[in-house]
Amino acid sequence: MVTNARPTRTDYYRVLPGSLPSRALVVTSLGNASYLWASLHHAPENFYFEDAMGLTLPLALGLAIAQPDRPVIAVEGDGALLMHMGALVTIGAMNPSNLTILLIQNGVHAASGGQALTNAALDLAQLARASGIQHAENLNAPGALAARIAAAEKRDGVGVLILATEPDIEVVRPPISLDPVATKHRFMAAIEAPRYIPTLFDGGMLERP
Amino acid sequence: MTTSTEALEAHRPSAVLNALKRLGFGTVVSVPDSWLGEILTRIDREPGMTLVRATHEEEALAIACGSRLGGVRTALLVQNAGVLSMGAGMVSLAQRYQFPLLMLVSYRGTPDDPVFYHIPKGRATEPVFRGIGLAHACTDRYRPIGPQIEHAATYAEEASCPFAQLMGREDIQW
Repeated sequence: MVTNARPTRTDYYRVLPGSLPSRALVVTSLGNASYLWASLHHAPENFYFEDAMGLTLPLALGLAIAQPDRPVIAVEGDGALLMHMGALVTIGAMNPSNLTILLIQNGVHAASGGQALTNAALDLAQLARASGIQHAENLNAPGALAARIAAAEKRDGVGVLILATEPDIEVVRPPISLDPVATKHRFMAAIEAPRYIPTLFDGGMLERP
Repeated sequence: MTTSTEALEAHRPSAVLNALKRLGFGTVVSVPDSWLGEILTRIDREPGMTLVRATHEEEALAIACGSRLGGVRTALLVQNAGVLSMGAGMVSLAQRYQFPLLMLVSYRGTPDDPVFYHIPKGRATEPVFRGIGLAHACTDRYRPIGPQIEHAATYAEEASCPFAQLMGREDIQW
């Protein structure tokens, strides 16, 4: 049967676990971007946003710069992107090759109940390219995602994949507590991030565990 | 005869940069103002440090959180007006996830600031910081600046939170 319906976030998310590069770190935006990902592929290398709409991409940029040897996958929505479009310019300027952005374009603020966007019809790939990101592409089929992520390993510079989807307004129940501090500590332990080692009467330093 | 430390402290912005290097800060994220411009240029030239020039202070805050999440000691250099505009990210990301971040904040709008239009931001700064629970201190111009930077950085790490050091012009303008 031929259909014009867009894929869902779930369709893309089902492809993603098998497509993740080795040692990948995944940062997901608030709402179903995190809840659904935790349901399908919870791992300590996931960093889940609980709130802070619009700040997923800049956080992922900082992480990609700090961990240049590990692939970083960031999942953000079009509504959240519009809240901090300047982040695209900063990402384009820093241009870390280990950062791949999956931008869910569902045309609404899904995480807050499906309110209309200021402009739901923007060409986000063109917007990314105009922001200095050379590798930006619109995708319409989940089956294309695996090949694009695999190609990221040889890519020079950051990549943005715009995933056109139907809105998913119904809130997915996450299988685990998404306690923010627990998320952070679990993530930092998993990547063996240097820890702050204090001294009694003086300032400490970050040291590898 | 002056010691090298005294000579360094004679130029307080140099002492700030030296403290950041000595304490192992690997990344600085910034939205500049006129006081911060030159020290950022110097940081950009430091081989062991990465400077990220952000487009907005709330974005800068999130970049700093990501960098610290990745295990790099990270400082934010912004104007006080920028901290006023990063309130939501401060409480829902940096404080909620307990990211230790050193914030060096140019304190505009004080009686020492010759640019009069900063006054409204100066008046609002500390009440807003208290309102959002942002730990902070003002630098003491009569004491060496390097140890004050170290104390602020230590506070951030020991308390697992952002800490804002409010800097006068003589502290940070190269």
